[in-house]
Amino acid sequence: MNQRIIFPTDDGVAIIVPAPECGLTIEEIAAKDVPAGKPYKIVDVADIPTDRTFRNAWEYT
Amino acid sequence: MTTLISGTAGVTFPAGGVGNPAGAVVGTTDTQTLTNKTLTSPTLTTPNIDSAQIPTVSGTAPLYMCRAWVNFNGTGTVAIRSSGNVTSITDNGVGDYTVNFTTAMPDANYSSVASCSPSAGPNQRVVVMNFAGTSNTISAPTSSACRFSTSALAATADVEYVHFAAFR
Repeated sequence: MNQRIIFPTDDGVAIIVPAPECGLTIEEIAAKDVPAGKPYKIVDVADIPTDRTFRNAWEYT
Repeated sequence: MTTLISGTAGVTFPAGGVGNPAGAVVGTTDTQTLTNKTLTSPTLTTPNIDSAQIPTVSGTAPLYMCRAWVNFNGTGTVAIRSSGNVTSITDNGVGDYTVNFTTAMPDANYSSVASCSPSAGPNQRVVVMNFAGTSNTISAPTSSACRFSTSALAATADVEYVHFAAFR
């Protein structure tokens, strides 16, 4: 699955990585695994930086 | 006893014979239940086993199966290699992950274990269960998810091979 779900946290931004074998759609995973009440976005995996040097400084915009 | 063939009464099988075995005949419909039967080397095709307790092949201690597991790469483009009963992992920050179960555990009292590879070279990494490394706080497990961190000596750190399993 070449998509990710991002949502804001108190410490920055969290990224949900779907399990390829789970059998759910990305929307179903978002409905299930994003904390209740949190806004979220579904993005392409290519939009997530691969350089994690400053991972904890990433922000949700 | 012999099988009788009569022009008027039809075919009569002797009681207990091959054509008329003693006891109830099962397996003729889809809803019949086998109770207290011994199956020798059976082949079960996609069985639905409801119980989490299965007899062992040796000894008498019961087996308690792994209820969820995942193997993922925590570096670069974080990605799950393979998993069971896991819908996703949440990358909360450097070395800080939450495993989200597809089907929830009966409660939060399962036993979770995890391991990880070192970073390049001999730099050791450890897994700290039920810990949110991003905020340095304890994170109690729930029936639907478990959070943990991979850490170097003084801070959380990403690692390439991360493994998690939950037992209940």
